[in-house]
Amino acid sequence: MSPDPNHPSARAVAAWSAACLLIVLMTTNPAYKALVFAAALCALAASAGPRRITRLLLAVTVVASFAALLNFVSAHLGETVLFSLPPAIPALGGPYTVEALAFGAAGGLTIAAAILAVAPFSLLLDPNDIVDALPSTLARSGAVIAASLNLVPAVGATFVQVSEAQRMRGWRPRGPRSWAEVVVPVVLTSVESSLQLAESMEARGFGAGARTHVAPPRISATDWLVITSSAAAVGVFIASTAAGWAQQWAPYPLLTAPAIDPRPLLACALLFVPVVAWRSRR
Amino acid sequence: MALASLERFTYSYPGANARALDDVTLTIDDGLHLVTGPSGGGKSTLLRVFNGLVPHFHGGRVAGCARVAGMDVIRTPTRRLAREVGFVFQDPELQAVYQNVEREVAFGLENAAVPARDIPGRVEEALHAAGAQHLAGRLLRTLSGGERQRVALASALASRPRLVVLDEPTSQLDPQGTALVFDALRTAVASGRTVVVSEHRVGELAAVAGSLIAVDRGRVRTSDPSRWMAPMPPERVGTSGDPHPEAWCMRNATLGFNGDAVLHDVEAGGCAGEVIALTGPNGGGKTTLLRAIAGLLAPLSGTATRRPGRIAYLPQNPAALLHRPSVRAEVRFTLERARETTESPDVILGRLGLGAVATRYPRDLSSGERQRAAAAAVLPGRPALVLLDEPTRGMDTSARDALIDVIAGLRDGGAAVVLATHDAALRDAVADRSLCVTAGRVTEAAR
Repeated sequence: MSPDPNHPSARAVAAWSAACLLIVLMTTNPAYKALVFAAALCALAASAGPRRITRLLLAVTVVASFAALLNFVSAHLGETVLFSLPPAIPALGGPYTVEALAFGAAGGLTIAAAILAVAPFSLLLDPNDIVDALPSTLARSGAVIAASLNLVPAVGATFVQVSEAQRMRGWRPRGPRSWAEVVVPVVLTSVESSLQLAESMEARGFGAGARTHVAPPRISATDWLVITSSAAAVGVFIASTAAGWAQQWAPYPLLTAPAIDPRPLLACALLFVPVVAWRSRR
Repeated sequence: MALASLERFTYSYPGANARALDDVTLTIDDGLHLVTGPSGGGKSTLLRVFNGLVPHFHGGRVAGCARVAGMDVIRTPTRRLAREVGFVFQDPELQAVYQNVEREVAFGLENAAVPARDIPGRVEEALHAAGAQHLAGRLLRTLSGGERQRVALASALASRPRLVVLDEPTSQLDPQGTALVFDALRTAVASGRTVVVSEHRVGELAAVAGSLIAVDRGRVRTSDPSRWMAPMPPERVGTSGDPHPEAWCMRNATLGFNGDAVLHDVEAGGCAGEVIALTGPNGGGKTTLLRAIAGLLAPLSGTATRRPGRIAYLPQNPAALLHRPSVRAEVRFTLERARETTESPDVILGRLGLGAVATRYPRDLSSGERQRAAAAAVLPGRPALVLLDEPTRGMDTSARDALIDVIAGLRDGGAAVVLATHDAALRDAVADRSLCVTAGRVTEAAR
């Protein structure tokens, strides 16, 4: 089973994503969160290309902005008041502070970094790459997952076919009940497809007992570089936190700049390795 | 000793009174064996006995005896029989577990607990045996239908089965894809495998077949393939004569999805009372053109127009249509929607030979009967424009002949008919002209 040169290894992607998530969720310091966000953004831009991530960035911006705004309007804490609304207004009434805005922005940054950290799974890998990367003890579950994943596009195609065919027979969407004429055939066809796939798997001996697992694609030197640097990033960041070098940050009651130390910064910088590693495989 | 044998084997599906196989006695020796017969006659059921899917997967009542490679089918589970019997299903889309060709071929070997170190060599061997070695490393979604069936055949061959069974493996393929599969079958037989294949196109394999097994209403009759007589091609049904007004028209149209063009600069049109066949390879764009004619797909540029009136559209997948409790209810549903309540559903059902299954649930029918039921569901009444996507898929010759009569009747009634088809007999019998859809272009085909 030769590795596909167009994809990074699923295990390398998993290691890097896990490292990003761990760091961004471990710290409250927005400086380190921002660095993880930047690493994820650059890695995605380098590997998937700016065009493919445009919609994702738009969605991330909307979600992160909403999170920041929600904290700004609901947490009436902090000393630097920008403006106030009458306390009589339910939920919205009270002071609006710089601190609440900063805390909300940090929360939005956390969400944005987390989404970008896991985005390579959908942007860079086929679902079957992920299944193949499962350890051999999970091979049987992996086969079932792979089979299920294969049916997902079929369900989408069936929905288009059914809605078109019914429209040609005079169906028009008029309220929830009218959708039964589309949904019922889609569900029935999907169930039939699942049964046919199950029949095919049975006919090929699935469930016969002990099972071997063909070796997953070999991990290349570049993938090892990503895995090692991700592990190092996690190790250095945890050590920095334990040693007190990676200080946490709290904007309340008065906003202060986050403390920055070169050691946790170095840990975050290691997450930029895929910018080079994955770019070279495009 | 025979590789497979059935002795007084009788089988009924769960809840069914009729016998799907009725007192079948049959012997399978070396070589290639062709299974033929009308839609719904029991071909697929018979094939599924060889690897135990009938009765183990489908359930039902069984009597008699069936043995394959020395094993009692009724007492041996399918997953055990799978080591001796490879099976290829009709639909290449719905039998794949993995997307990568080599992983897909390796699936059966993993299930058989073949040592991991031996698997790559066995996969290579199977791909070679199926004539699919050049597909190694490819993703299944990038393959044509014929290539996918070759991968399915390689998957079946990988476990080195003594018997390979194929259920209408070419029913969805274009002539090139069909030729690829037939070549691979001939190679498999030449290398010593026993092959049982259900196929409507008997003529192309009869020369290498050791026996011809006809299955009809659950009864089986074996004959010598050298005595097989090719059926007469359907008679050409005459054109409707006088010129009629234009029914649909494409002018300088670019057709595609999400901004990506599939067909460029389409200049085509059809008249009322005219039958046009769309030909070309799988994936060439025939369905895209049909959908654009139907108004389901707006041109990316240029224009597509059609005269007012009901459009009868048969999609490639008949299951997309069928959701009523009976075949007759499907037809009645269309007639009511078209406000053509004076016509009885039994008219079209009778013409398509579906009278006997009019009260059956359409999804319980065989694939060929389902195809006819879907045609019956869209064609009643007086449609102005008739668009049929692979209408004879899985149909036997008599069902095809019946459909040809129905199409000719619609045409004579003033309908404009467009059919996308690989079926040369259908095209020759009923089409006034053909358009070749390939490589992003639509061109007039020479008759």
